[in-house]
Amino acid sequence: MMDANHTIPWTPGADAAREAPTGLPVLICFVAVVWLVSVEGVAREPAAQVPPASAAATGSIAGRVELGHVEPAPARRPEVAALGAPPARDLPDRRVSVVYLETAPRGAFEETKPGRAALDQRNETFVPHVLAVTTGTVVDFPNNDRIYHNVFSLSKVARFDLGRYAEGRSKPVRFDRPGIVRVFCDIHSHMSAFILVFSHPFFAVTDADGRFRIDRVPAGTYDLIAWNEGTTSDPQPVRVPAGGVVDDVEFTLR
Amino acid sequence: MIRTLTALPLACALTLTAVVQGGGQTLPAGPMTFADSRVVVGGDVSASIAPTDPGFFNYTDYEHTTLRMFRLALSGSLRASQRVTILGEVQTENVDRPRPYALYVRVRPWLRHAVDIEAGRVPPAFGAFSRQTYAVDNILIGYPLAYQYLTSLRADSLPATADDLLRMRGRGWLSSFPIGNTRPDRGVPLVSAFRWDTGVQVHAQSERVDTTLAITSGTLSNPRVDDDNGGKQIVARVSVRPTAGLVLGASAARGAFVANAAAQAAGPDSKGLTQTTWGADVEYSRGYYLARAEAVFSAWRLPVIQAPSLNGPLRAAAVFVEGRYRIFPGLYAAARVDHLGFSEITGTTGRGTWDAPTRRIEVGGGYALQRNLLFKASYQHNHRDGGRVRTLGLGAVQLVYWF
Repeated sequence: MMDANHTIPWTPGADAAREAPTGLPVLICFVAVVWLVSVEGVAREPAAQVPPASAAATGSIAGRVELGHVEPAPARRPEVAALGAPPARDLPDRRVSVVYLETAPRGAFEETKPGRAALDQRNETFVPHVLAVTTGTVVDFPNNDRIYHNVFSLSKVARFDLGRYAEGRSKPVRFDRPGIVRVFCDIHSHMSAFILVFSHPFFAVTDADGRFRIDRVPAGTYDLIAWNEGTTSDPQPVRVPAGGVVDDVEFTLR
Repeated sequence: MIRTLTALPLACALTLTAVVQGGGQTLPAGPMTFADSRVVVGGDVSASIAPTDPGFFNYTDYEHTTLRMFRLALSGSLRASQRVTILGEVQTENVDRPRPYALYVRVRPWLRHAVDIEAGRVPPAFGAFSRQTYAVDNILIGYPLAYQYLTSLRADSLPATADDLLRMRGRGWLSSFPIGNTRPDRGVPLVSAFRWDTGVQVHAQSERVDTTLAITSGTLSNPRVDDDNGGKQIVARVSVRPTAGLVLGASAARGAFVANAAAQAAGPDSKGLTQTTWGADVEYSRGYYLARAEAVFSAWRLPVIQAPSLNGPLRAAAVFVEGRYRIFPGLYAAARVDHLGFSEITGTTGRGTWDAPTRRIEVGGGYALQRNLLFKASYQHNHRDGGRVRTLGLGAVQLVYWF
């Protein structure tokens, strides 16, 4: 299961440890709930930064993320109590991955330029399914369906509930902390999306074929990580030459 | 009650065992899919804990109360083709024997039109709350009186006189009458939220209007798999969505209520023994608010047997208003005000309502520990104008997990 409370950068090995505590016993044994909550609160240590690089000497990283199999779109719960079949909906594109530097050059955080992005609600689907932004970015959540949606997140890095609002309206959320934010709709449980918030600008969202390119990376050696639907690759060391392109980075996930 | 208390630790042990056997793997966060997503399985698990309810205000039969219950429901759908889907649900309460709650086929004859035909043990068409009975959909822990509270009436047992009925005021959890099945058993609610009826229904949906017409073998009070009286029930519902967030609904139902065995024991003139029910509901939500109101009016016709006799139908009216407000992400507060009243009959000692009017106020809230793990707490104040226990306050907590 995906954990919504990562901070970025993170150490991938910690993921498994955080997946264990949830479970049905929690449902009945209330003591376990207390434990669960306490585990949720575990803080993550930030990774060390690499030495600063000359701003003028930059290069690019390009490559491809190959998925062993694409996670199927989350199914609608069997609505046994519904009086009729639910309407057709769009399915999220779960082929999209995100590739990022695990550690960024010192000073890169100051270069971050927060912008504005949008996560649309359309045909009972969040579009795009994966959004990657830098800290400080304001994300708009427009509703383009004729029905209500209620966007919310219980992620530690950004806990919000936008309430119910109708077609044509939009509400913004500013993301100030790095990490992964799982976004859901309170009315439609099959709707979900990821927002990856980075404290540096060295990341890229792949296209549907898995191709990516990260530009303006200061020359140096970095660990590169690929992420898809909660699964992260092992860090892959990459040496970026000044003025050059590393274009043969290949990741295989799942 | 003893059974409930022993069942909870047993359920705990069973689920712990299941997780250990599963190697501590994480339970699903969403429904499970198989066969290229043609088969989807979801679940709803809830555990409720509360003090004993000596007034039987929350009982659904002599052994089960909604406030002290472990319930596991597994629902599934099998998409056989573009037009045909089979849906079903199995439930177990307090680790009892699992029982089928729903099993029906849904057919969409024209793919371009939102018209569905459903046959089997079908979802209830009447009212609004009848399809919000899952713990995750119920904003509180208790149920509205119209859908849960047991009146003293029974389909298989009939009062011979008005006095027989008046003697059972406030004893719906275990009532008995001299005609038909004389063994004490539970009475019926106005609309049962705990059993689904069997039959065929047609549902049509447009952008703003939903309509459903159903023919079933039981009645709203007494949904059945097998027909015990040869009569059918007709249910109709229309709901309108004039604007986003607003739903207005109206429902009606009429069906043969009394079982053949009881009607025959009552005499040869026992005909037209029906339950007729009308309902109206409204829901409005916006921002962090959700408000619902629903009214159910029911009338049962029972045979005239002996003086002082039951002249005219026995009527009951239930009205509830409930609301929810989201205080901050994951936390909400909720309340429900509920009233159930009854018409008057005349016995040898005077005139009175045929069952004891009951009121309930429930306040509480919920906190989402995770997206699909909800903790609820509530306090309800019950008052009844009759019976052994007339006033009772009950606190309850509930944990709900769904996937």
